[in-house]
Amino acid sequence: MNPETYLLIKLTFGVLATIGLYSVLYKETKLYRFFEHVFLGLAAGFSIVFLWRETLFPLWWEKMVGQIDEQSGALVQPAYWAYIVFLPIGLMAYTVFSKKNGWMSRVPIGVILGLWAGQQVQVWWQTYGGQIAGTMQPVIPTGLAGPAGTFQWTKPGNTGLTPEQIADFNTKIWPSQAVNNLIFVITVLAALSYFLFSFELKGKAMIGFNKLGRWLLMIGFGAIFGSTVMARFALVIDRMSFVFVEWVQSIQAVFNRGA
Amino acid sequence: MTPQKSIWEKLQEIDRRILYLILAIAVTVPLWIPAKLPVIPDSTSMDLYGQLMSVPEDKTVFVQSDWTVSTRGESQGHLEALLRILMARRIKFVIYAAADPQAPQVFRNVILGLNQEREARGLPPYRQWEDYIDLGAFLNAEGTLNSIGQDVRKLFGPRRSADTEGRERPVLESPVLSRVQKIGDAGLYVVVTASATIDVAVQRISGKTKLAAMTTGVVFPSVLPFYQSGQVVGAAGGLKGVYDMEFLMANGVNVVSPTGKVEAQFPAKAELTAPPLTEIEPKTVTFARGQRYFLSFHAAIVLLIIAVVVGNIGMYKMRKNRRGA
Repeated sequence: MNPETYLLIKLTFGVLATIGLYSVLYKETKLYRFFEHVFLGLAAGFSIVFLWRETLFPLWWEKMVGQIDEQSGALVQPAYWAYIVFLPIGLMAYTVFSKKNGWMSRVPIGVILGLWAGQQVQVWWQTYGGQIAGTMQPVIPTGLAGPAGTFQWTKPGNTGLTPEQIADFNTKIWPSQAVNNLIFVITVLAALSYFLFSFELKGKAMIGFNKLGRWLLMIGFGAIFGSTVMARFALVIDRMSFVFVEWVQSIQAVFNRGA
Repeated sequence: MTPQKSIWEKLQEIDRRILYLILAIAVTVPLWIPAKLPVIPDSTSMDLYGQLMSVPEDKTVFVQSDWTVSTRGESQGHLEALLRILMARRIKFVIYAAADPQAPQVFRNVILGLNQEREARGLPPYRQWEDYIDLGAFLNAEGTLNSIGQDVRKLFGPRRSADTEGRERPVLESPVLSRVQKIGDAGLYVVVTASATIDVAVQRISGKTKLAAMTTGVVFPSVLPFYQSGQVVGAAGGLKGVYDMEFLMANGVNVVSPTGKVEAQFPAKAELTAPPLTEIEPKTVTFARGQRYFLSFHAAIVLLIIAVVVGNIGMYKMRKNRRGA
């Protein structure tokens, strides 16, 4: 079979699956159910084979039974039979289906939870430490005059500047940057103030600041939702491109070859 | 006799399937129209491009590809742009998935496609073992990234790959990984993802190497705090990120031409200079996946805005009519 025909067959299956799955937009049809089950079955089967080939075999089995170079016969890795201990621990997870022995499933869960919990201090700091440091933003401008000595709102471009001037300008906080930082700091503080539940907020200023925090949070959620919607559009566009551009081009390629 | 329905009431009652059909037509027709839209790249994308263009040639880039065909519309464009830059600069890379077992087949297809594109243009293809290493998948993001942060050679040690003579050898002996002793030796660590594996990467390896992200629009808002704090040095998000990377590949950032004129000038990123890719055929990057989809993308957004406005006016009018009745 020539590559163009093979590609067309492959793409045609993809097109059928796309139409089948999108048919749910019309109503839940048997076609949709069929392709849904095909996808689930393929994904489950693929995952089991992959789990063995890519994880269990190289990281557990080969370490347990050792490794010999097939061509030279030389020992690549000695066998560490202690790895057998992971098998009963792993199998204990399946006792969850037994009423009598279900307690044993807590052993592997406990091991995983213990490992996970032990790492959380580092994980928390790695996630938020940098962000806490990043929140400390300078809000007072230190650079006001550009290369010509006139007032400069934004950082001057590098064109025509000496390396010393570029280095000097890079260290300064320019007014536009300071305003940005101020907005950022106010947003952080206002959003945090919204989560102050330990005491009653009194005074117009505190209540207003709290309300500002709520508004800013809503704007943030709106932006996140907008980004999510745009992502979904991108996926629809790609499917349409797959059906109406790639598939059509593939048909053309087969016909052109035939002609 | 029932009162006649107003136009607003009729619009409110449109069958959702008609809206789906209009959306499908609105996004399909522009796919056949090769129009370029004037868009300024985001500073996150400019920083990512700048970082990719400044990776030393003797360094290996780590690419963690955690997406499958379900997010092909965004993630394939990201990976294609990333690999085109690395291939054009002859930077070696190691690629693997840390979340989904289906991800390796998807990135293999992308590499195959890019190699076919290179061969068609008379350029040498990127070869497994010599130029890149495909490690397949490691099926636990936390464990994998923890191991990468602690001891990358121990994690990759058991993996083997065929060398240029077809002999199976440990991947650590390959030219791609032989000089990598720890994750800090990587030129850049790029996570192309459609899930929260970028968060895991920040948790486990940020501070140990330069980390960059290419994520879907759904994930991108959660990457921005990491970019703002410097935990991620550059990022491309959603379809806009694909468009940005293609634009930057063709035009560069703040590049001074031989005549002394600054081409593709972006004052917001005045400190950054990165040239366009010289090896790339302009057509490949100026009308690749990002730009091909961009007009459709705008058509969809315009349709959504119209639907939201019309829907809200209709609801307001109907409520007013009910109050009046």
